[in-house]
Amino acid sequence: MQQLAERIKVAAVFAPGSQVKPVWFEWRSRKHAVTRMSYFWKDHHGGAARLHFAVSDGDNLFELMFDTSDQNWTLVGIEPQ
Amino acid sequence: MNAFFASVEQQSNPALRGKPIAVIGAAKRTIITTCSYEARAFGVKTGMNSWEARQKCPQLIFVVGNNRKYTYTSKQIIAIMREYTPMVEVFSIDEAFLDVTGCLSLFGSAERIAQLIKERIGKELGLTCSVGIAPNKLLAKLASDMKKPDGLTVIAPERVAQVMERVPIQDLCGIGAKMHQHLAKFGIRTCGELGRFPVEILKRHFGVTGEKLHYMGLGFDESPVIPEEEAEEVKSVGHSTTLDNDITERPEILIYLLQLSEMVGRRARKYQVAGRTVTLTVRYADFTTFSRQQSRASHTNNSEEIYQAAVKILQGVELTQPVRLLGVKISSLRQHTEQLPLFAADRKKALVANAMDSVNNRFGDFAVTFGSLVGKEGGSKVISPAWKPEGVRNVDAD
Repeated sequence: MQQLAERIKVAAVFAPGSQVKPVWFEWRSRKHAVTRMSYFWKDHHGGAARLHFAVSDGDNLFELMFDTSDQNWTLVGIEPQ
Repeated sequence: MNAFFASVEQQSNPALRGKPIAVIGAAKRTIITTCSYEARAFGVKTGMNSWEARQKCPQLIFVVGNNRKYTYTSKQIIAIMREYTPMVEVFSIDEAFLDVTGCLSLFGSAERIAQLIKERIGKELGLTCSVGIAPNKLLAKLASDMKKPDGLTVIAPERVAQVMERVPIQDLCGIGAKMHQHLAKFGIRTCGELGRFPVEILKRHFGVTGEKLHYMGLGFDESPVIPEEEAEEVKSVGHSTTLDNDITERPEILIYLLQLSEMVGRRARKYQVAGRTVTLTVRYADFTTFSRQQSRASHTNNSEEIYQAAVKILQGVELTQPVRLLGVKISSLRQHTEQLPLFAADRKKALVANAMDSVNNRFGDFAVTFGSLVGKEGGSKVISPAWKPEGVRNVDAD
């Protein structure tokens, strides 16, 4: 996976049961609709819980990360499919 | 779990499903941590180097592992298992023993519990596992290895003798390559032969282990399933790291020792333990590994003191090859609740450590660290075999 670490704009659904589902994100002036979320995991960086999502827009696989401490989304990496 | 890390990667990246993949620890290192069943079909194995693996399977895809993804997934699986019984003993990141004796009236049978757990893991995480059901841990582990992937094998009590008769001894958990060789010298190749072999001869050659071997051959194992809260207190706190490249220069080695000492000290302080013995482990490029230890006059969990002890040990070692792995450990532990030292110099050290810990607890490990570590990558690169989902053995590997 190509590592990026870029702050991005994400639209997500925060559903009951602490479930977060990214719906679309903007990266490099293009809007990518999430067509599939293939994996989810959580880790901590210091006191901050971070949610990781492996998502696809149909063309590429992306890793998105939501930092619960500062409410920012980061595009961690991209893997061409 | 079946080919755990590789299966997680295949779930994570659907394009990898059904393909031969190998998980490696870091882009710069070439030893295979694990591989998918598709890769195993070509003869690719854990521990192989990437060149050798590529010879076996030219289309092999290498994936750099993500330890935090695996530890999170393991915790999810353990949480599922604990919904069926509180008696869960985590054996490694992808193996656990469950005692379901007390839960049979709730769920019907051990087979039913196994099916339910397999279904939940499959549905919620997309992963498969192999389950062994038997009267004890030794046989359950043996049964779980009998059918992979996605197996469910039962060794009923009345079939134990029949099953053990032909099982090769090396299939038993606890019989490694060396013991296998020793037993082969006695003409023992199967568990049936091991169980029938005169126990007195085994005891004469292997001491107390001899009697244990005899019972293993018969399929007896009285060790209980011990959940985490009933487990013995830890005896040591340690960290090791496989270096990005093999190194020979002492100044470079010292930087890694400081990094490891800080990780050990930080974890010891977090769980309020201190150790009196410091151990340094070195693995050479050819995988020869040795450890040297030194006992201090007093217990410590101060990173700098641990580092100084490790440096002192290193000074007494003549390194004959490039170093591949370094490890630092403290043992002879005792509880160490916070108490400000009497002397000013020691008090300053403790206050600095506390202040650093507070910052690092909030902003992440190595956010504030020793000057010589600035700009160096820290953190555990491997998941320890002793990893546990909680407590002092829970380490977030990077």
